[in-house]
Amino acid sequence: MLDKIRKWFTHGTEFIAAAMIAAMFLTFLIQIFSRYVMMAPFGWTLELSLILWVWIVFFGCAFIVREQDHITFDIFYLAGGRRARQVLALAAAAAIVIGMAISFLPTWDYIDWMRMRRTSTVENPFTGNKIPLRTIFSIYAIFMVAIIVRYIWRFVDVLRNGPPDSDHDIPGHDPEPPHLRHGEDVV
Amino acid sequence: MSFELASTLVTLFVLAGIGTPVGYSIILASLVYLGFAGLDLALAGEKIIQGLYRSFILLAVPLFIIAANIMNAGTISDRLLQFCVAAVGRFRGGLGHVNVVASLIFSGMSGSAVADAAGIGKIIIEMMTKGGRYAPGYAAAITAASATIGPIIPPSIPMVLYALVSNTSIGALFLAGIVPGLIMGVVLMAMNYYISSRRGFALEEPVPIRQLPKHTANAFPALLMPVILLYGIYGGVTTPTEAAAVAAFYALVLAAVFYRALSVKALYGILVESARSSAAVGLVIGGALILNFVVVSENIPAMVADSLVGIDMSPLVFLILVNLLVLGLGCVLDATTIILVIVPLFIPASRELGIDLVHFGVLVVVNSMIGLITPPYGILLFVINAVTGIPLKEIIGEIWAFLAVLIGALLLLILFPDIVLFLPRLLGYQG
Repeated sequence: MLDKIRKWFTHGTEFIAAAMIAAMFLTFLIQIFSRYVMMAPFGWTLELSLILWVWIVFFGCAFIVREQDHITFDIFYLAGGRRARQVLALAAAAAIVIGMAISFLPTWDYIDWMRMRRTSTVENPFTGNKIPLRTIFSIYAIFMVAIIVRYIWRFVDVLRNGPPDSDHDIPGHDPEPPHLRHGEDVV
Repeated sequence: MSFELASTLVTLFVLAGIGTPVGYSIILASLVYLGFAGLDLALAGEKIIQGLYRSFILLAVPLFIIAANIMNAGTISDRLLQFCVAAVGRFRGGLGHVNVVASLIFSGMSGSAVADAAGIGKIIIEMMTKGGRYAPGYAAAITAASATIGPIIPPSIPMVLYALVSNTSIGALFLAGIVPGLIMGVVLMAMNYYISSRRGFALEEPVPIRQLPKHTANAFPALLMPVILLYGIYGGVTTPTEAAAVAAFYALVLAAVFYRALSVKALYGILVESARSSAAVGLVIGGALILNFVVVSENIPAMVADSLVGIDMSPLVFLILVNLLVLGLGCVLDATTIILVIVPLFIPASRELGIDLVHFGVLVVVNSMIGLITPPYGILLFVINAVTGIPLKEIIGEIWAFLAVLIGALLLLILFPDIVLFLPRLLGYQG
């Protein structure tokens, strides 16, 4: 059951992210078309692309970027044994949770305050009003909450099951065939 | 150094050092700074969101990522490769030259070294190692080395990032990369020729000259891409960001309509992967934005500049020292991190010393690309190891000769700024 929900969630969020990046690409093409072919640029295309870019980054980091996709400096981590890795992974997860949790309320205050400001060109297609920046920036709050939840989850997981082996693989990586370990015979 | 700054740096190095994703480490470290400096913690989020929301130039990053991914998935890379085999495969060290030439052409499209290595690199390594003609380590090493050319010849994601932190013109940077990229290609081919002759690597069966037109025609639409891009940017027709979108669109049309090599399912996969990489890179860019705020609040670049002026350092010594530093850091840090986090510290100083910022930018980008193949921490080595299964140890054993000639090329670029600046000046860059 839990696995099923998880699978649907992964597929769903991947779909949303793919749709957003496709939309950004398309908006950009519309902009180029309006500028160079129609010679009358739409104002809203640029701002819409930027909104989608912000959403792709934070929605992406919240839901579809896996631990191994992040840019990481892992020389020391990988040099450690299993026990050391566990401690380091726990410390990293705890730091992220604490930092995000402490800064959440002040950040939310800022985002909430941004309801005073509105987009300059992009309109809500249903009401025709300009969109409050709070709506657009709210993805950052969602990102913070998702990261807090994810890293609490990771903390518990690492505590119970030890450090996952796949975290620092290069995406798509097949491990090298194991080298001969000490004590094995070479015939 | 203030207490706030010291604790920020300690937090940053400790967190990043234990394997926390670099983006999160930077955000957390800046929170420490804001906390100790008595500033609003919300500033971190504010700088990140506003920075991403306001910088049009950054939109080029996801668009180039999409373009590179489409090119790898369609058969565009294969066709280019066949063309290169027909053109330069007949010479001593043939497939090694093919490798370099393919990177030169491909780099005119993708803007990403990793895409270059993972896409065209994988195919060519298979060709080279088939029948034991080249040692696997050698094939992998020359592929990694030639992939570093990718972001030197435009378009280039690292140069977009450098333009962001230095306020230089992307157009001028792109132009300035062309000659250095070609030089890197030439020195790699020379080294390949030398090693192939000495070790007696087998010669290829030459593709008959009369077949060359066929292969050229086959690859022609793909070969047109760099031309379109360069014309768009330097003809002043489009901005570099728009050119990125055009590149992605052209790749899509080629792969899906012209070559009929892209299914809807594959396209969906490309979009998901592109969103994933864009988000991961975007987080580090966001982190760099808040870190720059800290660096500027603490007035660090001016301090660096002042101290250098105080000891009366010559520009050349400064350039060599900075390049040594970047080269050293490149062994352990990712290129994105170096360009976004370390390089801004030295920009005011180099301005102060009268070093051209476009020249400086090209040096830094070339240098951090060399960093991608320097052991022990070279992303390109890892990627090639991942996609081909050739052991890292063998790749590293063969990489040194290529590393040496690339560093030689870098030295040339440091000593003779005109190599870099000649082309942009010819086309109107004032500097």
